[in-house]
Amino acid sequence: MKVHALRGTELTIKRGSYTAIMGPSGSGKSTLLQILGGLDTPTSGSYRLAGEEVAQLRENDLAEVRNRRIGFVFQAFNLLPRMNVLDNVALPLMYAGVPRRERLGRSQVALGRVGLGERLRHRPNQLSGGQQQRVAIARALVTDPDIVLADEPTGNLDSSTGEDILALFDTLHAGGRTIVMVTHETAVADRAEQIVRLHDGRVDTIETVGVGIPIPITVGTPIPIFEEELNHVRQ
Amino acid sequence: MFVNNLRTAFEAIIANRLRSALTLLGIIIGVFSVTTIISLGDVATASITAELERVAAQQIFVTTDSEPGPPRPTTHADLSEADLEALAGLPVDIVRQQGSLAVATVAGTTIDLSLTGTTANAGDTIAMAQGSYFSEAEADAGDRVIVLSAETASALYGDGDPVGQTLDLAIAESKASYTVVGVEEPASGVFALFFGGSNLSADIPLETLYLLAPELPQGIYNQVKLQVPLDQDVAAVGAQVSAALDAQRGAGSYELQTVEGLTSLFDSLMLILQLVLGGIGAISLVVGGIGILNIMLVSVTERTREIGLRKALGARRSTIMQQFLIEAVVLTTLGGLIGLLLAVATLYVTVALVSFLSVVVINAVVVLLALGVSFATGIVFGLWPARRAASLSPIEALRYA
Repeated sequence: MKVHALRGTELTIKRGSYTAIMGPSGSGKSTLLQILGGLDTPTSGSYRLAGEEVAQLRENDLAEVRNRRIGFVFQAFNLLPRMNVLDNVALPLMYAGVPRRERLGRSQVALGRVGLGERLRHRPNQLSGGQQQRVAIARALVTDPDIVLADEPTGNLDSSTGEDILALFDTLHAGGRTIVMVTHETAVADRAEQIVRLHDGRVDTIETVGVGIPIPITVGTPIPIFEEELNHVRQ
Repeated sequence: MFVNNLRTAFEAIIANRLRSALTLLGIIIGVFSVTTIISLGDVATASITAELERVAAQQIFVTTDSEPGPPRPTTHADLSEADLEALAGLPVDIVRQQGSLAVATVAGTTIDLSLTGTTANAGDTIAMAQGSYFSEAEADAGDRVIVLSAETASALYGDGDPVGQTLDLAIAESKASYTVVGVEEPASGVFALFFGGSNLSADIPLETLYLLAPELPQGIYNQVKLQVPLDQDVAAVGAQVSAALDAQRGAGSYELQTVEGLTSLFDSLMLILQLVLGGIGAISLVVGGIGILNIMLVSVTERTREIGLRKALGARRSTIMQQFLIEAVVLTTLGGLIGLLLAVATLYVTVALVSFLSVVVINAVVVLLALGVSFATGIVFGLWPARRAASLSPIEALRYA
């Protein structure tokens, strides 16, 4: 018998929205995030990213989707210990084929945006946890992706530092980016516009939260350029 | 991407300095031993060749397999004057030589000598340490003059000056007193190594030998040295000599040697040595390669999370593959380079310390081969770990703790 992390799930995420994914451990929330991020592909069903069927993409095209359209933020920061802060942030640009000089310039700008204008030549282990997560967020932003996916980004941080990081996500959202965040803390999820609760690989509820942060969608009707449907059926 | 991966490779190697150095050791030793062995062989061959050319470049030796005593059916007759007539017209200066054993005595010191009766033109190609070779007039007159090898001179006279001294020489039944006119330069270089200390020989005029030992057959020679003028090609003249002697006395009844013949003999001996020893050295290269394989597999496992992260950030499979392949190749090529430098240093030191080696030879082919082989070792032994790294699934890799 096969065990499916996700099945019978259908979900649409609109561009510019802020979604929190919650659920007990083993409910499939990380798997969902990985499928959204192009790290994993569903065994069956469909995932359309801005109308493009991602499940059908070949490995190299998937790598490009991860590189240019999606920024990842992990619970464990996942910075490379041998590289300094600036080079860590510049890594996605290297895979995008950007020349080194431009890479470093853009990385510096990205670091400025997350409030880290100095200590650029430090190694990650010379920074505090909060600073490391800022570096990771700068790395997620450096290719200017539409979508930022975060997996328990405050899980390894104390509450006040976690607040700062969440405020940073609010700013990104206010800047028009689509944010999907996996969390198990209600206080964290309350900052999102919608909360998707998963249970046993299925979407349990989708709850819309009244939020104070306005979403700057300027022209006409919102076009669902980022939507996804998942249909995992037990075989 | 290549430059980035190269940078990444150096970072990884420097980050694991000690481990990299230990891993490199196998490649360093392998390249060092192969390069040193092959180059030392080249150095020895070149030194021998240089020495041979210095002493005997323009000479052709014609010898027979005759032995002292009555002719035997298994041996061939000595070269006769008739045989030498056949060489008339060829651009060679003929030095007739007849060997004999003799006993020399000076003030109670008695030694056995290898004595050669020869003509005065033999002196044209012999460097003298003291005095001079006997003259044509002395030779024609059958004067009792003798030229000693350096070893003979020191055996008989020690450090004293032998020129003008007399010694008693016994050939077969006859005994006579001779005046020393000259002492040859001691053999140097390779020849000193091979013949040093045992080259107890002396030359006297052929006429004198005949006068003193009338029982010796006259007009036949067991060795003839043909001196070829500098403007003539030794190989071409050698071929003419062969043709003339084949027609005169038949092929196979004599042996003809030139420097080229001698050096090619050394070359083939040296090649066998180089192949055997080089093969042993090549084994250490394979062992070194397996060390690289091992350390790269460790490196891939250790950096599973890093690989997952790089893939999540957009690295393609080919990029990851290239990163690890470059790391392996940089490692082995670095090892090859170090091994090569050590080998070159060893060669210079060896040539400086060992007297009979005179020339440092570093063959471009050997250098390219050493670097090429270390490069290839990186590719061959880095391929599997690199493939393993590249085919890691990003989520599994990120999950790896």
